[in-house]
Amino acid sequence: MLVVGLLYYCIGYTGYISTLTWNGTDIEKLHVGLANYVAALQDPVFWKALFHTVVYFVTTFVIQTALGVFFALLLHSRVRLGALYKIILFVPVVLAPAVMAPVFRQVFAADGQFNFVLDHIGLSSLAQPWLAQSSTALPVIMSITIWEWTGLTFILYYAAMGQIEPEMLEAARLDGAGNGRVLWSIIWPSLRGTTTALLMLSAISALKTFDIPYLVTVGGPNYSTEFLGTLIYRQSIPQSNVGYGAALSILLLILALGLAIVLQLVGRERKN
Amino acid sequence: MFRSTRTKRLVRLTAVLAAASAAALGLAGCSGSGAGSAGSATSGNITWWGWTPQPNNAKTYIADFNKKYPNIHVTYKQVTIDGWNAALRPALASSNGPDVFNISPGQYMTAFAGSAIDLKPAVEKALGSDWKSKLAPTNVTGLSTSSGKLAAVSAGSTSAGSLWINADLFKKYDLQPPKTLADWKNVCSVFKSHGVGCFVQGVGQVAFDQDTLQSIADSVQPGMWTKATQGKVKWTDPVFVKTLDIWKSMFKDGIFEDGALGVQQYPDASNDFMSQKYAMVMMGTWYMQYATQDGMSAAISAAGVGTPVKFPILPISFPDVAGKGNPATLFGDSDYGLAVNAKSKQQAAATTFAVWLGTSKAGQQAIADGLNDIPSLKGVNANWDAIKLVDPTTQKSALTTLTQQATASSEPRLSTVSANLQTAIGVAATTVAAGKATPAQAVQTLQTASTSAGSN
Repeated sequence: MLVVGLLYYCIGYTGYISTLTWNGTDIEKLHVGLANYVAALQDPVFWKALFHTVVYFVTTFVIQTALGVFFALLLHSRVRLGALYKIILFVPVVLAPAVMAPVFRQVFAADGQFNFVLDHIGLSSLAQPWLAQSSTALPVIMSITIWEWTGLTFILYYAAMGQIEPEMLEAARLDGAGNGRVLWSIIWPSLRGTTTALLMLSAISALKTFDIPYLVTVGGPNYSTEFLGTLIYRQSIPQSNVGYGAALSILLLILALGLAIVLQLVGRERKN
Repeated sequence: MFRSTRTKRLVRLTAVLAAASAAALGLAGCSGSGAGSAGSATSGNITWWGWTPQPNNAKTYIADFNKKYPNIHVTYKQVTIDGWNAALRPALASSNGPDVFNISPGQYMTAFAGSAIDLKPAVEKALGSDWKSKLAPTNVTGLSTSSGKLAAVSAGSTSAGSLWINADLFKKYDLQPPKTLADWKNVCSVFKSHGVGCFVQGVGQVAFDQDTLQSIADSVQPGMWTKATQGKVKWTDPVFVKTLDIWKSMFKDGIFEDGALGVQQYPDASNDFMSQKYAMVMMGTWYMQYATQDGMSAAISAAGVGTPVKFPILPISFPDVAGKGNPATLFGDSDYGLAVNAKSKQQAAATTFAVWLGTSKAGQQAIADGLNDIPSLKGVNANWDAIKLVDPTTQKSALTTLTQQATASSEPRLSTVSANLQTAIGVAATTVAAGKATPAQAVQTLQTASTSAGSN
């Protein structure tokens, strides 16, 4: 009860701060009403961050789901050294982003290992400064996320596939269903619950994204990897616009609540 | 009935306790706002937080301080510059923050000066009524608020506008430090033809872009950059279009490496220079500390080099990139000042330490010999004979000249740039470098940011 109360107090206090022009430490606080919200809605960087969040969510969710299902199917068949592959797939999930960020900065640098590999497999024309270009920085961030979280998606799908009745699959086979048909008509519908859960997790994760974009690219270059989380941090901490940062936080909360309601409604409709 | 009376009593008791707590907090707050009088001035345990100096330098300063004040125990905690805001803000908001903390001119003054006591009376007591004339002016102005409060005592200053070169690499390929843009381009092409990186700068870290742009602007027309940051001229002036044009050409001509936009000055660029992957780096006077044997060993090890090989680094003037013959300038402010937390229970001891480091000859000599900062107290110079440089023959005169130039400079570096303006400068620099905006478009956005910040 105390924790819940504290949580709502914090939300309320953030709401109060969002009506101030305040640097976070000064005694003097200037009340500006809803001006911070108006400024946020007129801020092109805010809309850019929102757009990145949507692109990031859709791309990472689709690719992670496809890879997760693929690896789960693969490892449910008889593969040698299956346990080893499971470990390899899951290891990125437990590695701390703060530890991996400098590694990725080096790997994707202009003189980094990724370009080195491209040079040595005859694809030197594709080598480029991946993190230094607006056009490639966001895809790199998304690929890191996919690398990091596919292991979790795989594990959940792997577990879900283990729950499918073998008799059902055998019956389908006896009825003459091929691999594609079995996947599409039996396995995939059985994974709907897992997919819905992953959809919600991915959506929440996309809204909260902060660590990898901030640690690898600091939101740049030119805001090309700016997300709501990094924008809130940039405004609240380095730029000392705590009031504005609080307004962005409240907008993020509204978005998260809106998304949760939509997902709930969609879930209910499907159940009905 | 019994329950109701008990509840009422409980509510009353809670209200009384709350009122007492609020009063106590209020009193604590009031006592914290005094002029450094809380506690003893000659004994106590105090904490000092800073992003600089390096712990080995801080240890030396504290050891020297303890020769005079053996009963004040100072614990230094270094916080990374990137995490400074995030660490200090909640610490100051609580009642358990550091007794002494660093402040630098510009955005940190805006953010944290309100949490510091006025140190003017203490400095006046230490140096006399003419205290201002005994300190380098930039060390005072940047750390004073508009109301005249001295929020921090400067430990020393740093200046930017210089480049540093790996003297061994220049010697190996028989190259001279570049003096013009054409020289620079040529030097870079020679280094690259030998598989050596030429010039490294973390364009992804705005403060350093600002340094390079200020140097270019000074080459186009000295002083205009400072005037623009002060709102005295508009960013749309042709000087700044030319500045960004030259900046852009440095990317096109291969002076900046491909991918510079994705590089951070610290640790990437500094590590690349220290591991001898690059022959030149954009750094200011603070880089002097790596000219010493110990400083360089530590920096090379930090760069991850397995078998450290020390090499002499030399400061050179920023080339005349505009070709107008304007002399290269240095621009600087106080590197950091020591502020005393208004909530500290040991303000007197904290004030003693801050004032000793910033105004005493012993404290300032320790600063000078650390080579991280140029002393704030006039007349104190580094004791070069006692400092172990990597190659004294080539480095000593260059470092002495750099120190003299920095002491003579009057152009500010960060103190006139707000956080929002600095962000706008970063956007202008990187959009032009990436070809997303022309110099003419970029100066328009700079002017818009400056106007919205209330400059002009």
